[in-house]
Amino acid sequence: MIEVGLKQIILALLLLSHELAVAKNAEFYITLEKNTFSPPRLHIPADKKVRIIITNLDNEPEEFDSFDLNREKVLFPGKKSVIYVGPLKPGIYEYFGEFHPNTAKGSIIVKLKESNNAD
Amino acid sequence: MFTPRYVFADGIVVDKVYHPYVIANEKEFEWRLMSSQTDTINRLAQQFGLGYSIAENVAMEFYIIGERNELGDFTASAFELEARWMLTEQGQYAFDWGAIFELERNTSVNSIEASAGLAVEKEFEKTSLTINWFLIYEQGSQIDSEFETEFRVKYRYRYIPEIQPAIELYSGEDYFGIGPAIMGVHRIEGQRQIKWEAGFITELSNKGKDHTLRLSVEYEF
Repeated sequence: MIEVGLKQIILALLLLSHELAVAKNAEFYITLEKNTFSPPRLHIPADKKVRIIITNLDNEPEEFDSFDLNREKVLFPGKKSVIYVGPLKPGIYEYFGEFHPNTAKGSIIVKLKESNNAD
Repeated sequence: MFTPRYVFADGIVVDKVYHPYVIANEKEFEWRLMSSQTDTINRLAQQFGLGYSIAENVAMEFYIIGERNELGDFTASAFELEARWMLTEQGQYAFDWGAIFELERNTSVNSIEASAGLAVEKEFEKTSLTINWFLIYEQGSQIDSEFETEFRVKYRYRYIPEIQPAIELYSGEDYFGIGPAIMGVHRIEGQRQIKWEAGFITELSNKGKDHTLRLSVEYEF
């Protein structure tokens, strides 16, 4: 029983080290200022993993939350935060800021073809 | 001195499938209940926890664990300190990784249990597969000192935030159980939210009856 457990853990660590050595993803940018995300609609390509870099220009923290994207992350004031999403199917994925849900909200629009990344 | 014949420190595998994520600046109260029924016994344990994120990717939680003994008395029987460490950013790699470390002192059987585990999660569109491996060492004056391993799996469908049905599997200590589960989250305001989980796990490796009902409620703020 113990041998099986150790093998599983060693295998898991090998997988982890392999994963740490890979991946460079396309980058997209969102800014949070005056409790508002900009652009409010970000276009990203379907079926690709992307890095969304969110810069919080406000002087208070915000929490990015999206059930559609299955992501939840604190955005510290004056800092950049990275959220990895995808590969996603085409569609509209809503998100909001937990501390200012009425103003801090936006959507990620996933398209089959990469075009303008904001509107 | 009365010694419980069955204790949760050395006998029940069904607990909770941990996700590999930590949210910064988060505090939480947690309550868990586990009720296990076999042909001969009916075990009950409750766990109260207070947790806090001490870093962007590390959270600590302290638990008081109470168990009902064979006389029917329900008393605090153990204390546990738990650390969860988010090893990778969610979605960055093919799998998300986290580590869990637990140290439990059981005063009713005078034992100590130390655990180290890995939590791995993978998204498949609206579903998520979560796997936990634990290596556990138990030592005490009334139990056999031994290493054990536990394996837990949850496959969840993110239907809506409040209703996320799942299937859970637990394996370890000659136990193999599987059953339906459900979890959900209700946002209140800001970081305040309530999460709940419930599962009904049936043991399959023995002939006799062995069902475990598990419930948990977390208030995050």
